[in-house]
Amino acid sequence: MNEIPPLLRSTRRHFFERCGIGLGSMALSSLLGDGPARASSAAEPGANPLAPRAGHHAPRAKNVIFLFMAGGPSQFELFDHKPALQRYNDQPIPPSYLEGKRFAFMDTFNKEPPKLLGTRRKFARHGESGAWVSECLPHTAKVVDDLTFLKSVWTEPVNHAPAKLFFNAGTTQFGRPSMGAWVTYGIGSEADDLPGFVVLQSGPRGPRGGAVLWGSGFLPTAYQGVPFRGGAEPILDLSRPPEVSEADQRAALNAIGDLNRHRLDATGDPEIATRIASYEMAFRMQSSAPELIDLAGESQATLDLYGIEPGAPSFASNCLLARRLVERGTRFVQLYHTNWDHHGGPTENLEDSLDTVCLDVDRACAALITDLKARGLLDDTLVIWGGEFGRTPMGEVRENTGRNHHPDAFTMWLAGGGVKPGLTFGASDEFGFSVAEDPIHVHDLQATILHLLGLDHTKLTYRFQGRDFRLTDVGGRVVRDILA
Amino acid sequence: MTHTRPPRPLPPWWTPLLLVAIGPLVLPAHGRPDEPDRPIDFAAEIRPILSDSCVQCHGPDAAQRAAGLRLDTAEGALADLGGYAAIVPGSPDESELYLRIAEEVADFRMPPPDSGKSLSADQIELIRRWIAQGAPWEEHWAFSPPRRPPLPTVDDIRWVRNPIDAFVLAPLERDGIAPSAEADRATLIRRASLDVIGLPPTPAEVRAFLDDDRPDAYEHLIDRLLASPHYGERWGRRWLDNARYADSNGYSIDAPREIWLYRDWVIDAFNRDLPFDDFTIDQLAGDLRPDASITQLVATGFHRNTPINQEGGIDREQFRIESVIDRVNTTGSVWMGLTIGCAQCHDHKYDPISQQDYFRFFAFLNTADEPTIPVASPDDIARRDEVNRAIDDYLASIDRDPELLERQHAWEIGLDGAGRQKQSQEVREAFDFPFEKRPPGTNRVVFAAFIDQSDDPLVIPHRDAIAALKKDLPTIPTTMVVREQRTPRTTHFLIAGDFTRPGDPVEPNVPAVLPPLSQASDARPSRLDLARWLVDPDHPLTARVAVNRLWQAYFGRGIVETDEDFGTQGTPPSHPELLDWLAVEFVERGWSPKALHRLILTSATYRQSSRLRPDLAQIDPTNRRLARQNRLRLDAELIRDSALVASGLLTETVGGPSVFPPQPEGVMSLGQMNRSWVADTGPDRFRRGLYTFFWRATPHPLLVGFDAPDATFACTRRTRSNTPLQALMLLNDQAFYEFARALADRVLAEGPPDDAGKLDLAFRLALTRGPDPIEQDRLSTLLDQQRRLHSDPTDDDSTPSSEQAERAAWTAIARVLLNLDEFMTRE
Repeated sequence: MNEIPPLLRSTRRHFFERCGIGLGSMALSSLLGDGPARASSAAEPGANPLAPRAGHHAPRAKNVIFLFMAGGPSQFELFDHKPALQRYNDQPIPPSYLEGKRFAFMDTFNKEPPKLLGTRRKFARHGESGAWVSECLPHTAKVVDDLTFLKSVWTEPVNHAPAKLFFNAGTTQFGRPSMGAWVTYGIGSEADDLPGFVVLQSGPRGPRGGAVLWGSGFLPTAYQGVPFRGGAEPILDLSRPPEVSEADQRAALNAIGDLNRHRLDATGDPEIATRIASYEMAFRMQSSAPELIDLAGESQATLDLYGIEPGAPSFASNCLLARRLVERGTRFVQLYHTNWDHHGGPTENLEDSLDTVCLDVDRACAALITDLKARGLLDDTLVIWGGEFGRTPMGEVRENTGRNHHPDAFTMWLAGGGVKPGLTFGASDEFGFSVAEDPIHVHDLQATILHLLGLDHTKLTYRFQGRDFRLTDVGGRVVRDILA
Repeated sequence: MTHTRPPRPLPPWWTPLLLVAIGPLVLPAHGRPDEPDRPIDFAAEIRPILSDSCVQCHGPDAAQRAAGLRLDTAEGALADLGGYAAIVPGSPDESELYLRIAEEVADFRMPPPDSGKSLSADQIELIRRWIAQGAPWEEHWAFSPPRRPPLPTVDDIRWVRNPIDAFVLAPLERDGIAPSAEADRATLIRRASLDVIGLPPTPAEVRAFLDDDRPDAYEHLIDRLLASPHYGERWGRRWLDNARYADSNGYSIDAPREIWLYRDWVIDAFNRDLPFDDFTIDQLAGDLRPDASITQLVATGFHRNTPINQEGGIDREQFRIESVIDRVNTTGSVWMGLTIGCAQCHDHKYDPISQQDYFRFFAFLNTADEPTIPVASPDDIARRDEVNRAIDDYLASIDRDPELLERQHAWEIGLDGAGRQKQSQEVREAFDFPFEKRPPGTNRVVFAAFIDQSDDPLVIPHRDAIAALKKDLPTIPTTMVVREQRTPRTTHFLIAGDFTRPGDPVEPNVPAVLPPLSQASDARPSRLDLARWLVDPDHPLTARVAVNRLWQAYFGRGIVETDEDFGTQGTPPSHPELLDWLAVEFVERGWSPKALHRLILTSATYRQSSRLRPDLAQIDPTNRRLARQNRLRLDAELIRDSALVASGLLTETVGGPSVFPPQPEGVMSLGQMNRSWVADTGPDRFRRGLYTFFWRATPHPLLVGFDAPDATFACTRRTRSNTPLQALMLLNDQAFYEFARALADRVLAEGPPDDAGKLDLAFRLALTRGPDPIEQDRLSTLLDQQRRLHSDPTDDDSTPSSEQAERAAWTAIARVLLNLDEFMTRE
């Protein structure tokens, strides 16, 4: 009855023997500089598109965990300490700052010169590195010596959906692959029975923009991010239909495999071998994915470290899942947490709303760093924290305290995977309006992330519509000063 | 120093004589074993090298051009650069181009190391020989109009069913390759049905075809399929990929939109075989047609399918311009196979399209308003007015009734703040009059609201009476269209493509490299002029691009593989003469899509078996030469449709508002707005996949999981992926389980009493053909196994539970069949 293991073994052998080359080796040859893959659609049939492969140079990081703070966190309440803002609190910003600038809500925001807003949050230096962190993030403050703060990140769009797309795909135009798709296209994934690019979501709502943020654009859809869902079934359609027993499912899979192999012999089409392997991996996912999300094996100390309440989906449990995913070889994990869009409305302000979202994430972020480090995973894992843009030094005139979207200078942090710990890099000007030192454009950050993974952002290309496209479009420069 | 331009040879596909020389186009151009005197083919061998390695810096982009040298035109390459020239025909050693690529000192060598490009020794040698042979130069093939090439002669004349076959066979024969045999009849009917109408044939249709012994039985089949209303659904859906059709606005808010009338227009246009020139003009400029019909207005929805950003605090003009940019780029790739979008921010790096060209083209599409219009037939309007009059009359007959008025007063007093707030504007205005002082005419709207909302028992019969009248009220759908502005806005050149940096005003015009616009008058050229220009028979691109897309659908790959790029960076055509022959034929047959379909479908080339051939594995691994058909995985929608046909559940209704088949829980929560998805329970639950409501932020997983495009930009060519997530969906999704059980029920109800007969029927329903002995045997084993698993030994055989066991066993068979590679593949 239980005949599946030998069958699957033979399928696997068949698959790797007959089809071990293909797209993987094609991408590889393009990576190695034999010229870009000529035709975008010429993916060789029968290849496993997610097979791990070497990049352009030795990597410093194997995996990425991107903690995406959706909505645009205020650097002024969290990391970018600006005494001048407090000194000139409530003074109109000098008009020279605003000339030619574009903001969201232009019609109301610029009616009268907006006034500078000094934060009401207390700041202090922390750790041996002396990094500035406000009272909002007491746990993050304890791990600053493991973090690399980037105080001079800037981007281009001023609205949420376009800015999120820009951060993920390097452009506001639709149809381009997201960063996780580029990375798995470039170097595949070590995970044998889990997706290579996973998206996790927490907070009151999904991220603005939806599926395009983790899409594969013109790359084959095998590279698109797989959103995990809350609850017992993290992957869509992971569980058998309730009417089907495990024995039924095995029997069905055996028959499907046998009949597909019979067809493979008749037609000789290696695409069928890929299909057989896909069913095999689907079968393995049915046990590996529930095992992944089952936190029963985690110690109480670990759950406490993250602040996880068992059974309640949260950013904290997503952080732990992220660690479990990279442990199992998933290449790129992206966590979205909403909502950081603190304009000053009743539920979106820099008072209690900011407190709420900081409580959501602070402990878990610090726990993730601590946990990865304790397990020796931090060296191989690049952790990224940040949103699609920052916020204005000026306040908005609304019911409560708040700030507008601002792309010109904001703060992010990185940790692990080949970046210098305890470093604060770059600076904004006195009011935090623009970059004063060492500007880091989003394309620079993307180039750096790819570099750490062993990929040259100018060589990781894909030919589409007659052009070799890349994540960083026509820009990007590796920020070498932050490399360990 | 002067150079005369070398005589330009005829494009080689004009003469059968030269055909021999360019036959190997389908092979990689470099690295072949070489005879020294062989004439070098500029288009196939030299232009790709120049285009890939030189033209980015020495090309059309005037702002970036290095050393004043231009290598994308003969004039540029031969120009006197002050005592020397890049190319001196006949003299490689006097040609700066050759000297620099062959330079030994790395610092002087071209291309420079920091360009990331380099030339191989073979490539350098090819260029040397080409210059030595006189450096003959040809214009890029795609910018000259197609001309009908003569038919090549072939030996095996019996294989040729129509001219297509001669073009395919001639190069095969030259290399001694035989085409494949015709596929068997069951495969043929399944292939043609899936390709033409997107539905597999029923067993009855298969039987009829197998029994049809007329010599032209296959042609009759094709005619039947092309006449089916499902043909419009199948080919309409392909066109909707180009149109980026969806049922919501995209971006963060992703509000629903109503534009399914456009989708239905596309389906209908295919079904009535609207010629492609009219099809084009209606969609790009239907509103500008003299006496435009409502149908032609609906067609302009093509360019209204762009996403709309409704996020708070945006600059609307920015996103209006982004949608016009998308329309320009879409028009370029869909109709012309040109990557015109590359010229938004700078002159095109490879093709002769300047940034000025871009914004002149932009100007055509920048002067439209974007209204939403109701679309009602005169009958609908008359019926609506009639119903409204009847309701008015009914209300007038009761709204002086003192008892009812008293109750109305009580209802008003009972409304709290929120209750008053939710009333319509009209009602709230009427509330400004105290009840006692309200004129009866003003009170009518409040009275109507009271009848509509109150729980008073006295009201119920009246509400029912009005509801009965409303039953006849027609629903009048709206759709999104384009309408030219009365006063056209001025279009500015945008510096670096940035909408905040307008430059000089520009007037609409077409790219200079293409034929000029012909205009009836001196008036400002309009979108209508643009649309007519696109479908001028002399346009070098439109017909070629259109026939190539058809070819792509039937063989999985176009004659030009980069169907969206016919420019110099695109792949050269595998069968250039065939492409031109088809393009000319298409135009001369009145742009009739059905005529072209019929031509391809009835060719021997199309009818070949798709079995892989070991003898071709080395010489033509990707089957560019078409010595066989290709096996193609079905499109997302067709996998669903095929399961619906096999199970007998399909609701065949064509057109109408989009529908909500079941989808797994939790899909909608990945969008910002967390919208709901309530699955249809009636016949709409089983509509074809193309009618599934498409939310851009949270698309149905069975669509995008099988490579349906995300509808944010024009998709002219879907990828075909093969992933474990697809396996999970087909194995476990509740919708597919439902199909499998229905298939099982059907087999139990319609099949013969014996297992073998039932298995045969199930197999035919899912895969069109009957099982071979091995397949029959394997499924019998599964059936026995399942019966053992599901029978309860404590039960006697006559109880309903044994019926259930039987149903479960056959459902297992059905699940297996619906998960086979063959089920989701067009052989």
